Amino acid sequence: MAAFALTNRLQQLRRRAKPESRGKLRVAPRSIYILPTRQGMLLALLLLLMLAGSINYGSNLGHLMTFLLGGIWLITILHTWRNLLGLTIQPGEAASVFAGQTADFTLRVVNNSKTNRYGIALSAMRQPGGTVDIAADCGAELHIPVNTQHRGILPIPEITIHTTFPFGLFRAWSYAQLDLSCLVYPKPAAQGEPPTKAIYNHSDSGDRGVGADDFIGLRSYRLGDSPRQIDWKAHARERGLMSKQFGGDRSDQVSLDWELLKEYETEQRLSLLCRFILQAEEREQSYSLRMPGEKIATGSGPLHQQRCLSLLARYGYDDETAG
Amino acid sequence: MKQPVDFTLTPGFITKLSLMMGMALLPHVANVPINISLYLLLLLAWRILGLYIDKLQPGRLLLFAVTLISIFIVYSQYQTLLGRDAGVALLGMMLLLKVNEIRKRRDIYVSVFISYFVVITQFLFSQSAVLSLYLFSVVIGLTSLLMEINRVTPSSKVYRPLIATFKITLQALPVAMVLFIVFPRITQPLWNFSSEASARTGLDDRVTPGAISDLIESSEVAFRVQFQQPPPEKKQLYWRGLVLWDSDGFSWYTDEKRPLGRETIKLWMIDNPIKYEIFLEPHDERWLFALDIPLEAPPRSRLTHDFQLLYNDRVTKPISYSLHSLSRYSMNRISPGQRRRALDLAENITQRQRNLVAQWKAASNSDREVVEQALRYFNTELFIYTLSPPRYQTNPVEEFLFEGMAGFCEHYATSFTQLMRIAGIPSRLVLGYQGGEYNALGDYFIIRQYHAHAWSEVWLEGQGWVRIDPTAAVAPERVEYSLRRDFAGQGAPAMFEIDGGGALDSVLRHFTHALDNANIQWRRWIVGYSREHQFTLMRNFGVDSYTSMQWSFITLGILAIVLLLVGLTIIRQGRLLLSPAQRVYQRFCNKLSSIGISRRSYEGPLDFAQRAARNRPDLASQISAIADLYIELRYASQENDRRQQRLFARRVRQFRPRAR
Repeated sequence: MAAFALTNRLQQLRRRAKPESRGKLRVAPRSIYILPTRQGMLLALLLLLMLAGSINYGSNLGHLMTFLLGGIWLITILHTWRNLLGLTIQPGEAASVFAGQTADFTLRVVNNSKTNRYGIALSAMRQPGGTVDIAADCGAELHIPVNTQHRGILPIPEITIHTTFPFGLFRAWSYAQLDLSCLVYPKPAAQGEPPTKAIYNHSDSGDRGVGADDFIGLRSYRLGDSPRQIDWKAHARERGLMSKQFGGDRSDQVSLDWELLKEYETEQRLSLLCRFILQAEEREQSYSLRMPGEKIATGSGPLHQQRCLSLLARYGYDDETAG
Repeated sequence: MKQPVDFTLTPGFITKLSLMMGMALLPHVANVPINISLYLLLLLAWRILGLYIDKLQPGRLLLFAVTLISIFIVYSQYQTLLGRDAGVALLGMMLLLKVNEIRKRRDIYVSVFISYFVVITQFLFSQSAVLSLYLFSVVIGLTSLLMEINRVTPSSKVYRPLIATFKITLQALPVAMVLFIVFPRITQPLWNFSSEASARTGLDDRVTPGAISDLIESSEVAFRVQFQQPPPEKKQLYWRGLVLWDSDGFSWYTDEKRPLGRETIKLWMIDNPIKYEIFLEPHDERWLFALDIPLEAPPRSRLTHDFQLLYNDRVTKPISYSLHSLSRYSMNRISPGQRRRALDLAENITQRQRNLVAQWKAASNSDREVVEQALRYFNTELFIYTLSPPRYQTNPVEEFLFEGMAGFCEHYATSFTQLMRIAGIPSRLVLGYQGGEYNALGDYFIIRQYHAHAWSEVWLEGQGWVRIDPTAAVAPERVEYSLRRDFAGQGAPAMFEIDGGGALDSVLRHFTHALDNANIQWRRWIVGYSREHQFTLMRNFGVDSYTSMQWSFITLGILAIVLLLVGLTIIRQGRLLLSPAQRVYQRFCNKLSSIGISRRSYEGPLDFAQRAARNRPDLASQISAIADLYIELRYASQENDRRQQRLFARRVRQFRPRAR
């Protein structure tokens, strides 16, 4: 309990750099922490050993060399600190991903100073991001990959910007709160068909729907096709992976409804809906989505898909934030 | 995910690392036996070739076996794994084996750190300025490797990281100097391994025929001397080292089992004492050198009754000390014990010698006249002064005096001393150096091994111990000029170097003197810096003990100031770049501040403009126009819009507020 209180207190003591206007953040002198790395401590230990040796053999130059290395050790603190000082971090967008995939946060680090900066690294949630060198008055883009596990809004409460330049003896770092987040779509369910009566519309282009009844031909394999659809004979004849296509349903409009999946629990429902949306896009069907309290009208295309998936991802979140 | 290890573990980088390690080890070639050096070279070559030829890549098992072999080699060479010499050999092998198993970045750090350690060990063997400069650059090279692995892309130019590291090292130098000056010097070793005296050239405490002529081959520096007043003539520079009392008819020595007892000797000065400072090279012996008769003992040494200076330990590192000496003096008395010992004769005195002395005694009325007779004898008989005399094997004095008649200072001095004893004049042999080479650049004398000399002291009633140099009677040039070392063959007469040779000689001498001067300053201020210097310095601050709290305060205070100054220079280098718009805006702020409206650190441009406009409604329109332009330029990422930029600059230029 006491330990918890202490860490809590330490958390409060940490000076996080707060973003300036427009979400930019400049690493301020007093928000930089610095501690020796493992190598830095090893060298310090070795220097003590060297000093003992120099004293023992009464070697003045041994003293001098030890002190010179000790001086370098000390001066490095300032250099490591300065390597981080004044860098500006500009958050970028993180593209939405499905749960289980890796979200890629892109940030831009700008060096507005007259000196080159080397080995600048970012990390978030204990996951290391990239490292870059940034020349004077230049900027560089850095990616932080973060593994996602759950659907919803993945917040990145703080980013750590750090460096061990010049000699890896010290690590300087600063915490940046940039209000980054990534929308994580539900993980699509493995397989399934929407439990809905497809609406049959007459189409001028004829019978090009997708169904399960009549075999209508082969097309090349697409990601997500069931193995049962694959024409294995064609594959054996070395014609590549082909999927059998079945037609006859002629359904080109699907209405997806939260209420129709009552037998599943919430996350499972969202997963299924996600799969259905992807399927519908795949089959070039148009679809509508009805969620509790919200309905997205029939449509199709990437933008529509994104709206629908976002609705799934945010399910339950808006209430929480409101509450 | 891109990790910055990409280029650090490439053969190219590891080759560089291995070569730097080789450079750190290189000076040890002079310190370890040749077979260890060759073995180290083999390990280095194996490593570098292994990077390029897969077949030579050692497996773990082989590496382990080679490690055992290395330990065995060191043990069989030194019969121990501890101590300086064995430790260094072992360290070198471990270092070169370590590069063979670099797999992670951490291994690179460890390799570089061990190399630092190797660099330090070099100073246990030599502390010369040249070596230090070399090792300083090796350290920069090693450290620059660390810089390279802490950046992402390799540097475009090879020398860039070197220069950057050099700059950081220069910034560290003041810190190092402060610590060097104030860090307490502990004179007792913390631990002790068996003494490992290396063979050094220098005087021996026993004079056997040929002992000194061996030394003449060496131009190594024995010590350097700086006079605090005009120096005496060169032929008066007799540097007393040790005094030998006993002879067995073959060699001269001082029998430690025959103590001479303590006694006080009264000295009367005839001239004022001469003040000078000596910078002694380590010679692994206890005696210190002084001009003629030293009047006091330097710290950590004592003055014996026969005016030898004995250091408390062997001199294993360069030391310096100040002294007063008398060249002209008189003494009161000699104790019976001393007199007896100074008349002791070896058993192989021949009748021929006794007859010779009897002749001199018959022709003179006093001891002084006997001495003069003897010197005249050496001068008028056909004695030859030579560096390569015939070998006198059974009775050196007898053979030299009556058969060979060719010899070196040791022959003259030993024979003379023995003859004086036969004549009943107390006498003893003094060993030291004579003369010196003047370095005009640094205003000091260099005394080299080939200045080694032996002479005699006789007791003359009313005068005390008087220095007599029989060699000077034979070859007065010896004491006026230095010996030339390029003598020709057996039995050839010695040649002397006379100042003012050819132009080339003089240029060469000038150059070597400049080099030696740099070296002695190095010796004096860095290598020879001691507890005594430290205390002299700290006494200026009123501190006279390590345990005094002020010592730590002063240390920390100076260190803090130095760090602050260095820190400021580092921070200044990293000043932020202002964009053109920011610079113009800065001018605008300055103008407003001149009429009493200053921007506060927390105020954004908009807040500031509003406040300024409220304060000066008459300027409000101008102020807000400028602020709008600035905000647009700066925050709407239009910084590159030239026209906007020019408009903004013009507005600010035209803005000329006046105080009300």
